[in-house]
Amino acid sequence: MLNDKYSQKIVDIIKNYTRKHSLWVVAYGTGCGAIELPPTMTSRYDAERFGIRGSATPRQADVLLITGYLSTKTLKRVIRTYEQMQAPKYVIGFGSCAINGGMYWDSYNTIKSLDQYLPVDVFISGCMPRPETVISGFIKLQEMITDGKANGAEKYKENLDWYRTNQKQVIKNWKMPDYNW
Amino acid sequence: MNKELTNENKLIEDIKKTFPSSEVSIQREKRVIVKIKQDTVPPLLSYVKDYLDFNHLSHISCVDWIEQKKFELVFILWSYDQQIQIIAKTLINRDEPKFTTINKLWRQAETYEREIHEMYGVEFVGNDRMGDFLLEDWEDIPPMRRDFNTIQFVKENFNDRSAAREDSKNVRETIAKHSGEEIPEFAKKYSTRNIDE
Amino acid sequence: MREKETTLYLGPQHPGITGNMMVKLKVAGDTIVKAETHVGYLHRAFEKLMEVRTWTQCFPIVCRICVPEPDPNEENLARAIEEIEGREVPERAQYIRVMVLELSRLAAYLLWMGGQSGSSGLYTMPQWTVGDRDYILDLFEELTGGRVYHMYIWTGGVRRDLPDGFEGRVLKTMDYLEERLKDYDKLMFESALFQKRAQGVGIIDKDKAIDWGVVGPPLRGCGIKHDVRIDEPYEIYDKLDFEVPTYEGGDVWARAMVRRQEFEQSISIIRQVIDKMPKGEYYNKIPNPLTWTIPPGEAFVKTESARGEYGYYAVSDGSDKPRRIHVRGPAYVHGVSLLENILVGANIADTSFIMNSLGVCPPEIER
Repeated sequence: MLNDKYSQKIVDIIKNYTRKHSLWVVAYGTGCGAIELPPTMTSRYDAERFGIRGSATPRQADVLLITGYLSTKTLKRVIRTYEQMQAPKYVIGFGSCAINGGMYWDSYNTIKSLDQYLPVDVFISGCMPRPETVISGFIKLQEMITDGKANGAEKYKENLDWYRTNQKQVIKNWKMPDYNW
Repeated sequence: MNKELTNENKLIEDIKKTFPSSEVSIQREKRVIVKIKQDTVPPLLSYVKDYLDFNHLSHISCVDWIEQKKFELVFILWSYDQQIQIIAKTLINRDEPKFTTINKLWRQAETYEREIHEMYGVEFVGNDRMGDFLLEDWEDIPPMRRDFNTIQFVKENFNDRSAAREDSKNVRETIAKHSGEEIPEFAKKYSTRNIDE
Repeated sequence: MREKETTLYLGPQHPGITGNMMVKLKVAGDTIVKAETHVGYLHRAFEKLMEVRTWTQCFPIVCRICVPEPDPNEENLARAIEEIEGREVPERAQYIRVMVLELSRLAAYLLWMGGQSGSSGLYTMPQWTVGDRDYILDLFEELTGGRVYHMYIWTGGVRRDLPDGFEGRVLKTMDYLEERLKDYDKLMFESALFQKRAQGVGIIDKDKAIDWGVVGPPLRGCGIKHDVRIDEPYEIYDKLDFEVPTYEGGDVWARAMVRRQEFEQSISIIRQVIDKMPKGEYYNKIPNPLTWTIPPGEAFVKTESARGEYGYYAVSDGSDKPRRIHVRGPAYVHGVSLLENILVGANIADTSFIMNSLGVCPPEIER
């Protein structure tokens, strides 16, 4: 009864509508860009009117926000946080350091492009991005969810070997649980 | 401007009388530089702390003079009563760097010594917390030494951006092959991977 | 009956930690028995990068060392180079530098007020203070082009002159902030709940404070009056008229009162600076930046930031790249060795409260 094409389409529309209007962000300030998050979430550039609010644990969150550069010590903890989140989940990369290394391109401790270690859905450019840019990044994520194109979690599951090779090249002491979501 | 540097001159005479092997000089108002040998450092620091009221430790630093094969340790102290800053410098051997800890005089010296040990490889005898501080699982030489080349380290250990595709194909060559064109000469040196097709 | 001891990781992903660091606690019941800090999650190797870049290329890097308050870094580096080289700065540039530093201090205090009250459960204060801090960031955007990282203070002066009518806008913002200070008083500083929560928590001994290396508002909260602006005045602080407040007690309440009184003093300093500012040059031109070398020498300079004494040790060997620049932030001592001493005997719920009041900022500890 609910298996023909039209019912499936209606279920998809309702599912995406409810998902995109309530995006909860993990409370993790991983780099310098986290200084522009308090202005975004408080009264001037109010992000809560879009349904965006903070969440204390990764088990209850939808979006992981990588604000800026990542050192190799933080990358290990970020991977563990990402794997604790439950699907559907999205990753947003902030700033020019996540895109190609930014101004720390010749530093021995930061990673040079986030794409190789985690599946990123939206990149926001700037150093640092203004609060209006952050909100427009979230709106682009909402449009991608409506079209059904924000599928970072499936990409991670299918290409897990490729991601693991890249991660193990940078993190020397790998003592982490297996990924089985 | 010629100010009367009475406090600084009195300090210089005092240190010269108690430690005759040191070289003392005034850099400017409120700054005195003292150059001493390695063994005189703990007695000098405890003398100025207990008798002359230099009780605030501002900084401990290390400079790498690779041409002379020496490390230079720098101790910077401040006195709130006399309002003078002492910069005490000493040279230690670069091949087997060892020094005694000044943990007993100031507890926060432990943090400075942990960082100098990790970044330069200097061993501080008497300090038990010599382990990982800022870096995790580091296997190379201590990174702040002058003979560690950071650009070469990055080239060997981190992948270039052009290789970041999950189906491991090169973007430029795939598009060129798909549309039947040749890659121009100036771009050929950036294609570092072969096509698997 | 002894309670069993367990290990808790107040880890890098936590809504109560100021930044990105870990505190490993050993607890028995609700009381902390031993604490250990782990830093290094934000290490970018700034000092190694500065040895590979020329002197002018170091300025955009240096302001990213301390994220909530970037201006003391640029001021320190500019003054260190001027001291080694022997370069003079025109008087109008010194007045503009003091105005920028005091505006940055106000923005840092507003962010601190939000953090301190948010970690104790009063969530209305962050909404107010972070919203008001945006008016100061608007002024910075008009003057320098960027909200957070300015790159405005240079060797030899500042990069641009003040725009037309800028002084009027600054004075209007100062009037607005003085009005809002009465609202903050009613909500946070005079409320009985906050006072009971903050008194008697996180006490620093007055006799041991200087020995342990405490600087800034925590030192003035123990009753000891020391400040770099009066001990070793830099720029034009010796021509201005301001007070340095102290408060007895050494607990979280004393430090909060010290910061609140310094807020008023900063507003009065900005008003005096705008009143007395002379006309003239704003920049002492440096030679061609591509071939600029500094003679050999060394210098140690310090400023007073919102968190304490900020020091730079710079060594030059005669070439166009620095030999060694070593940065010492005030959170280096407060966040690693002092925090491990003070947390013994406190509740678990007080960890975030004490960290906010000491002013622990991880990017400064590990650069």
